[in-house]
Amino acid sequence: MSSRENPSGICKSIPKLISSFVDTFVDYSVSGIFLPQDPSSQNEILQTRFEKPERLVAIGDLHGDLEKSREAFKIAGLIDSSDRWTGGSTMVVQVGDVLDRGGEELKILYFLEKLKREAERAGGKILTMNGNHEIMNIEGDFRYVTKKGLEEFQIWADWYCLGNKMKTLCSGLDKPKDPYEGIPMSFPRMRADCFEGIRARIAALRPDGPIAKRFLTKNQTVAVVGDSVFVHGGLLAEHIEYGLERINEEVRGWINGFKGGRYAPAYCRGGNSVVWLRKFSEEMAHKCDCAALEHALSTIPGVKRMIMGHTIQDAGINGVCNDKAIRIDVGMSKGCADGLPEVLEIRRDSGVRIVTSNPLYKENLYSHVAPDSKTGLGLLVPVPKQVEVKA
Amino acid sequence: MGQAQSDENSIPTTTTTNTPPPSANSPRDSEDTSSPSMDSLLAEAAAYGEDDNENESLEAKAQRALDCPCIADLRNGSCGSQFSEAFLCFLKSTAEEKGSDCVNPFVALQSCINANPDAFSKSVTGDEKETEKKEEQPPVQDHRIIPPLWAKDPPRSGNSKL
Repeated sequence: MSSRENPSGICKSIPKLISSFVDTFVDYSVSGIFLPQDPSSQNEILQTRFEKPERLVAIGDLHGDLEKSREAFKIAGLIDSSDRWTGGSTMVVQVGDVLDRGGEELKILYFLEKLKREAERAGGKILTMNGNHEIMNIEGDFRYVTKKGLEEFQIWADWYCLGNKMKTLCSGLDKPKDPYEGIPMSFPRMRADCFEGIRARIAALRPDGPIAKRFLTKNQTVAVVGDSVFVHGGLLAEHIEYGLERINEEVRGWINGFKGGRYAPAYCRGGNSVVWLRKFSEEMAHKCDCAALEHALSTIPGVKRMIMGHTIQDAGINGVCNDKAIRIDVGMSKGCADGLPEVLEIRRDSGVRIVTSNPLYKENLYSHVAPDSKTGLGLLVPVPKQVEVKA
Repeated sequence: MGQAQSDENSIPTTTTTNTPPPSANSPRDSEDTSSPSMDSLLAEAAAYGEDDNENESLEAKAQRALDCPCIADLRNGSCGSQFSEAFLCFLKSTAEEKGSDCVNPFVALQSCINANPDAFSKSVTGDEKETEKKEEQPPVQDHRIIPPLWAKDPPRSGNSKL
């Protein structure tokens, strides 16, 4: 049996080895990152409820700004200067909207994926969630895409297809699926120089697309962690009644391309959907529907607050409705308000506070606006500030 | 299809600096006995080989792997030598992040591909199964997408900011 010109069992493993080599090479070429091995088993059911960890950090909308994303992790002591996880057993929830408005969307997806794996090893955990911009992009709604955003996906597509060619040359590997299958070469009423970028973006992000499948299927749409429920826009009682686990599984199934076609389930579309709702995140406190919020919260046993992104809070992270609604989208991305990164921290023993890089809240209130104010631990402001008037 | 034409493809070169200290900072890792990631993929693969020689050096194993007939096309293409080096390095890598100790050969392979975009196309390597036309034969699906304003043609007045 073993008397070929190369009498080695090793040749049997080559297709598998080539495949992982090519994947690693493509990842590196796209992101500059070598991912550590994935410690989590694939295809496990998406978890919806989690015990309250010792330390929980919540991070708002990132919108294609890698630098600000890094800062957000840094001010909470979650990564070091070379982006390695230093958060130990901390649990992080990023409430969605990684995509759109900036040009480093894929780099952030890779950055988060790498940290997820490192955190897992250290006993920590990072949850990432679907925001309305994830849903829109999967659906082909590219209204908030930037030029750089098209370029980055184009680069991904080029390397991805090259990787497929390499795999095709290795006899013994199945012919990889063409990511562009069924995508038109041109689009009406669109500039011709955008066709390629748009095609790449559709290929990557449509249901069952390689990027959607690889990264976005791991996102929760709702998550209960201890006494907090996380969602990008907001939850109404009807959503909770429908079933949080059911929502997570259905959205994930849709992104996987299993069923549902192009468009997301109804509770992800429109103003009252879980990723679009603003009833609890209006900046003006008096516009928030505290009654609806309390009603919704009362239907999830043990939960006393809802933590949301989606609506930019010019005044920084804050709480309304007796801090039952905590709003953490500080518009940090350059493509949004270019806001100062702030994150929310909940410790099991000492409650809720805000970690900010805003120099105003630094130790010496009026001393200096230090140029280094963006690094290091910001002052921890006790209890979410109650903000009623917008600046 | 013009792949890999942009300079930005080589961006990763700049991120090469922080070569990781192998698994230095995972405090909870200590009791993880097996830690399979620290073996090279090659050693792992060889362990399943039917007639594997335990005493053979990793280097020799890697060389033997390179001689496998099924990768002849990859090895002989116009970026064949860069491929071989990168693949060899990857096989031998014992880093936590497989391949992270192979930045140089990876970058060399990238540059070669940037200079020879068709390095791994079938036609180049003499395989003529390329007869299938590159048109889009599968039916084009419904892809009515909503483009960003700046990509519309003709351009909209009231230009929105990006």
